[in-house]
Amino acid sequence: MQSDENSLLSFLYACPVGLIEFDRAGRIGMLNPHAMKLLMPLAGPMGPEDMFAFLERHAPDLRNLVEGFAEDHGTIREGHRIHVDLGDIGRKGGPQVLCASIIRLGPDRYMATLSDISAQVAQEHRLAQADAWFSALIDGINGYALLAVSGNGTILSANRHFAEQTGHPIERVVGCPVREFLQGHDCGGHPAGNLADEFHAATRDGWVLREGWESRADGGRYWCQRLIVARDDPGLPDDPERPAYSMVLRDVPPRDGSAADLVAMLTRDHLTGAANRMHFQKVLRRERLRWMRSKCPASLTMLDLDHFKAINDTYGHPVGDEVLREVAALGLSRIPHGGVFCRLGGEEFAVLLPEADLAAAHALAEDLRAEISRLSIGASGIRVTASFGCAAFAEVDGSTEALIALADERLYAAKRAGRDRVLAATA
Amino acid sequence: MHLASYGFETVSLADLEQADRGELDAAPFGIIGMRPDTVADVYNETEAELSGVSPRNVLGAPFFDTIGQCMNNFMVAQRFEDEPELDDIVPFVLTLRMRPTRVRLRLLQMPQVERRYILIER
Repeated sequence: MQSDENSLLSFLYACPVGLIEFDRAGRIGMLNPHAMKLLMPLAGPMGPEDMFAFLERHAPDLRNLVEGFAEDHGTIREGHRIHVDLGDIGRKGGPQVLCASIIRLGPDRYMATLSDISAQVAQEHRLAQADAWFSALIDGINGYALLAVSGNGTILSANRHFAEQTGHPIERVVGCPVREFLQGHDCGGHPAGNLADEFHAATRDGWVLREGWESRADGGRYWCQRLIVARDDPGLPDDPERPAYSMVLRDVPPRDGSAADLVAMLTRDHLTGAANRMHFQKVLRRERLRWMRSKCPASLTMLDLDHFKAINDTYGHPVGDEVLREVAALGLSRIPHGGVFCRLGGEEFAVLLPEADLAAAHALAEDLRAEISRLSIGASGIRVTASFGCAAFAEVDGSTEALIALADERLYAAKRAGRDRVLAATA
Repeated sequence: MHLASYGFETVSLADLEQADRGELDAAPFGIIGMRPDTVADVYNETEAELSGVSPRNVLGAPFFDTIGQCMNNFMVAQRFEDEPELDDIVPFVLTLRMRPTRVRLRLLQMPQVERRYILIER
């Protein structure tokens, strides 16, 4: 008997997958060392006790998934990906993407498996890009539109398929800036990022693949996949006649609803529909690159609901969730074109505004603050306020970490100064 | 020398190296010793009691890959790689018998001694 228990414990200690048992409130009952190894960097020296509390920052929708599961037994989620954002610790080799599966064992008993799939996700990413690349080439046997573009974005040559696909005659496009013929709009009709960014990314990574709506000469539109490959032909870098990029354009069937749903699932917060943290990080990195290159202003506003815990404690989590949804809906409806409204975790949101300086960010934050304070939520007419901290890339010399830290610092100064206010300067 | 008269915070690496099996087993705290390749060659009775795993399942195996996985990170395992001279006490949470358990770990390493130690105080 002693030996059986010994063997069983050795088995659990050595298991290369994290196993966690927890209750409805998230309190951890049992876990094995592998789970602890993955959770310790997230939980800090206090150690993991409440599953939801320390995962909140990385997977704010986890609690909703668990609470929203109506059956007493069954699989709640299989292969749920949690994008971990640990800053410096992440760079020291901590997990970046965790994969969690959660089952409900009884009314108040849950079990989760956890594994670090960072390497697998990075590999998937590379494969997806390589796959798109090869598809573009293989399909090209039946004819593809090809452009040679100089370093300053001028079309140097175009093939017959380009003329057929777009309706623009070759002689009309050669010598013209490529941006006159390609706009690149995503599924929502928003610009998918400007071409200069894509050329920059192609120079950095070798190639870049994007897709979006494009217009033909007759005004009709088509869904276009475009591959930009940086060419390393010898020649003077500034030679305007030198083809610096090749562009392959494919007219492909537009994404159907399920693909759009998948995009929403990957970039949106499950509860509120705001952008998720992963998407936020991606846009933040993009804006940083833009700022570094063009000094085009961009700003970040952090906002945190005041006394939100009291709302949860008084009215319960479902009402708290309703408050989060209302605030997110308001934020999403007020951000300008190109901006991102994101739920960072818990009751914390962020607004990323490309092409907005600190004064513009401050003005928008002030409008949001006033509108949030006028909300009357649910049957009880709950009132809520929020505190805001704004910062701009220009203040931190383009560092994303310093930008977040500065906006955070002002947010907490706003809290200390009495809440329900916006701070856009350091006292 | 009598290890029992030393405490978790005061025992030295030299004391541990000189102690015999009985003295190590009698210590009121867990003692794990391992070679530079992380293979465990010391695992006292107190630690076996705490973890529920007998020494024969631990000795001779790479410690951080088997029973000590939760310490295989920058907070413990990496420090032995990075700091040739190490004597530090860190608060930690272990999963003794799969229950989260707050402990204090003392990490001990010296350049002239091949074996490194982790002491565990519950």
